[in-house]
Amino acid sequence: MESGGQKQTSSWRIALLALVFAAGVAVLGSGLYRVQVVQNPSFSRDQLRQSVRRVQEPGLRGRIFDRNGICLAENRASYCIAFYVEELRKRGPWIRTIDAVNTEIDRLAAVLGVPRVISVAAVSNHVINSRYMPLLAWRDVGQEILARWAETQEVFPGVDVYVQPERSYPQGALAAHVLGYVKRDMPLPLPGERVHFFLPEMFGANGVERQYNALLTGRSGGKLIRVDARGYKHAVYQGEEAVAGQDLHLTLDVRIQRTLEQALRGLRGAGVVLDPRNGEVLAMASAPAYDANAFAPYISTGLWRSLNTDPHLPLFNRALQGGYAPGSTFKPVTAIAALIHGAVEPETLHTCTGVFELGTMRLHCWNTYGHGAIALRKAIEQSCNSYFCHIGYTVGYEAIRTEAAKLGLGQPTGIDLPSENRGLLPTDEWKRKQLKDRWRPGDTCHIAIGQGLLITTPLQMALLTATFANYGKLCRPHVARHAPESVRDMGWPADALKWVRTGMRDVAELGTGRRVRVRGLEVAAKTGTAEFDAGGVRRKNTWVTAFAPFEQPTVAMAVMVEDGESGGLTVAPIVREVLVSIFGEAPPEDAAAEPAAMPDVRGD
Amino acid sequence: MLKQILLRFQRLNPLLLTCMIALIVIGVAFVYSACSIREDPELRMLYLRHAKIGCVGLVVYLALAACPFATLLHWRWVAYGACLVMLILVPFIGETTMGGRRWLFGIQPSEPAKVAIILVLAQLYGHPDAKRGVGAFLVTLLVVGIPAVLILLQPDLGTAMVLVPTVLAMLFAANVAPRWVWSCVLIGGVAVGLLLGMIYAAEKADLTPEKREALIAATHLKPHQVRRLQVFLFPDKDVLSSGYNRRQSEMAVGSGGMRGKGYLKGEQYMLGYLPPSVSSNDFIFAVLAEEAGFVGSLTVLLLFLGLFWSGLWVAGRSQDNAGRLFCVGVISLLFSHMFINIAMTIGMMPITGLPLPFISYGRSFMLSMMAALGGVQSVSIHGRESGIRF
Repeated sequence: MESGGQKQTSSWRIALLALVFAAGVAVLGSGLYRVQVVQNPSFSRDQLRQSVRRVQEPGLRGRIFDRNGICLAENRASYCIAFYVEELRKRGPWIRTIDAVNTEIDRLAAVLGVPRVISVAAVSNHVINSRYMPLLAWRDVGQEILARWAETQEVFPGVDVYVQPERSYPQGALAAHVLGYVKRDMPLPLPGERVHFFLPEMFGANGVERQYNALLTGRSGGKLIRVDARGYKHAVYQGEEAVAGQDLHLTLDVRIQRTLEQALRGLRGAGVVLDPRNGEVLAMASAPAYDANAFAPYISTGLWRSLNTDPHLPLFNRALQGGYAPGSTFKPVTAIAALIHGAVEPETLHTCTGVFELGTMRLHCWNTYGHGAIALRKAIEQSCNSYFCHIGYTVGYEAIRTEAAKLGLGQPTGIDLPSENRGLLPTDEWKRKQLKDRWRPGDTCHIAIGQGLLITTPLQMALLTATFANYGKLCRPHVARHAPESVRDMGWPADALKWVRTGMRDVAELGTGRRVRVRGLEVAAKTGTAEFDAGGVRRKNTWVTAFAPFEQPTVAMAVMVEDGESGGLTVAPIVREVLVSIFGEAPPEDAAAEPAAMPDVRGD
Repeated sequence: MLKQILLRFQRLNPLLLTCMIALIVIGVAFVYSACSIREDPELRMLYLRHAKIGCVGLVVYLALAACPFATLLHWRWVAYGACLVMLILVPFIGETTMGGRRWLFGIQPSEPAKVAIILVLAQLYGHPDAKRGVGAFLVTLLVVGIPAVLILLQPDLGTAMVLVPTVLAMLFAANVAPRWVWSCVLIGGVAVGLLLGMIYAAEKADLTPEKREALIAATHLKPHQVRRLQVFLFPDKDVLSSGYNRRQSEMAVGSGGMRGKGYLKGEQYMLGYLPPSVSSNDFIFAVLAEEAGFVGSLTVLLLFLGLFWSGLWVAGRSQDNAGRLFCVGVISLLFSHMFINIAMTIGMMPITGLPLPFISYGRSFMLSMMAALGGVQSVSIHGRESGIRF
């Protein structure tokens, strides 16, 4: 065989080769079928994943208005000097691009005559993580720098003015605690979508900005960017359009709010004004306050530290988060509890000797000489501690606690604001657990006059007052117009309620709250001065609760001032100012009718 | 005279010519596509050069087809010698591009050398007094070995390797020293298996780094060759560096789907994921498969099959034994190129820098292959008994 007998190459060998080649083509064909048809979806997905980047763009944040359409929060244009990294892109490792950007920033800083504010670390972070977004080297620059930028002769490729919406509060610090503020933070990616690049977005960090963040934020949109192998932008497709957030309409009334805040200026305190008919918050103030504009775009570290270390706690919303003993402003609750549980007849007299003795406990009335023989109406008017200790002790703590709980003390009011303090309405069980002591009759006495273990917020006291104003119907408080309203009836007998309300009117007309009086307006009020021991120092928190007009109340409020003189002296003028701003004041009918000098209001 | 020539051209194999021209036209179209994104205008015009070389090639093709095959055989040693001289000169005065010194005055001598080797072997086994014993086998080793070693030194492993199946097919067709040939195939197969096994073991087994190094070193392969084999065995390894081209070409082919993305709409090369340096030559099939889909790649496969079958048909019909073997050699060479190129594009074989005949841009290769097919047509025209009309 090896000598090769046949001269011709056999045809079968050629035919076999033809078959082998056909088999080879078939192998390739099946391989191509597998890759191109069977595995096509997975390869297509891989290819998209490697070349498509998603850029998230936030919707414009909704504005916030007061009840009359006055703007409380909006977006202003903030001019930033931005570097577009794409255009400064250098071949090779990213560090070259980062260096190039840093050099350009320093060069521009010298030309504009402004110090560089963005750190080298922030630049490299941006180039690595957000390179398709503008790098904001100077945020919120003024007209002067913009003008210098416009006039500069030097060429800066990849630098442009970038307009960013920034939160702004046109009324300044007004209602700062209710509105809250916004912070910028890395956004959450849209559900189900992988986002590659985004800039920090605004988030409500407190107040209604936080409570209604979802509504105000709207929906983020996105752009899809096709990038080539070197990371250059190749094409941009508009993905879902960003949807602007909705506007939020509040129940606040800027006029009332401003009056309340001005009246509280220089003090530490809080006030809440409600519409008792529906629970709308007309004003809510806490002093001292802060200007939320300072938080946009970023609050400076120094200011943030000083706000947080200020002993007067300007960031703290006292109206909502502060816990205070209500003092005598609680007495209407004791009165209604005693009346409806039959512990006292409204006309029954009790003799106040200036001191109430219960076992070994001696409780002084503010009037050390005693009020003498006194009945319910007069006791409210004069805020007689002795009387209220007596009826409180008679009706028992359980009855008082039941009514107080129905009024929402010791629990959140359910207002549409974050971080509400629930206060404290103690029980026997609570005292045994927390203070390792049983409930003593003295505790009942203290709570009957709004002292002791009881803790309330100004909002709770305003709500309590609103419920008396609204004839025993409690409306859940709310600050957003669209928040659902809910009404709860206390189930108080009309005549019992009438006695208490009349007593409160007497407070304003004749008693401890005379300084709230407004000509031409029938006001009901209750004063309170809660004394407490703060590390050996006697301190007083002073209160006034009030509602008006007496027959058809449209306004109920509670105002509290820390370390005041007394409710009647310190707070009553504030309440009066607010009432005047709402209802106005009739001109003096005749000079003689006006008392020459207001008698000294003593006690609470 | 003219009439005589025209009469000769009547006996051209039409399918062989049609398939080749169709593949060249497809080549021009996809070289245009693959280079359409290049910034250098000269590179963007590459398709024109591809078309031009196709035209020049066609003239050469027809000229060689018109020549009697015996004349071509007569000049075999001149062609072989010229190629050898050029291959020897390459290391001294050649131009260096992309990691290898392969060019001499703008041509790659290794490409015509392949055809010259086939021509020499065809006459060696096919002349009437041919000895087909061990002596012929040893002469084969010499004839193939000298240029192969020179090509390996360039270094161009792919071109040297592609000679192996080509020569084996010719040895098989001519039935030269079958025991020796089969033994060599067996030994070669075992050697390749051993090599792959060593690289596989080095990667998988729990070896100390020193032992792993020793095992890799024992393969006597260059580091980039080891990496290519590793990528072939472990596709997911190193997708960003050595496995990058393989991964991206597979993604291009795979994302093409049944119908493809449309002409000039291939995203992989347009976005530069398929490196532009390879998309017009070694990886042109990835561009084609992405844009024309499975339908397009199947069309190309069938055109190649038509080319192979018509070439072998010419071989089978020829009365001239050397002509038969020449056809077998040329078709085997084309098949090896096509198979290795497409298989590496879809990850069925390790990456080797072999072009796809007629479609990849590459002037020396294109001209050499067209000249070789011109020789096949010469066999078709002159290799049959006169008077037999096809």
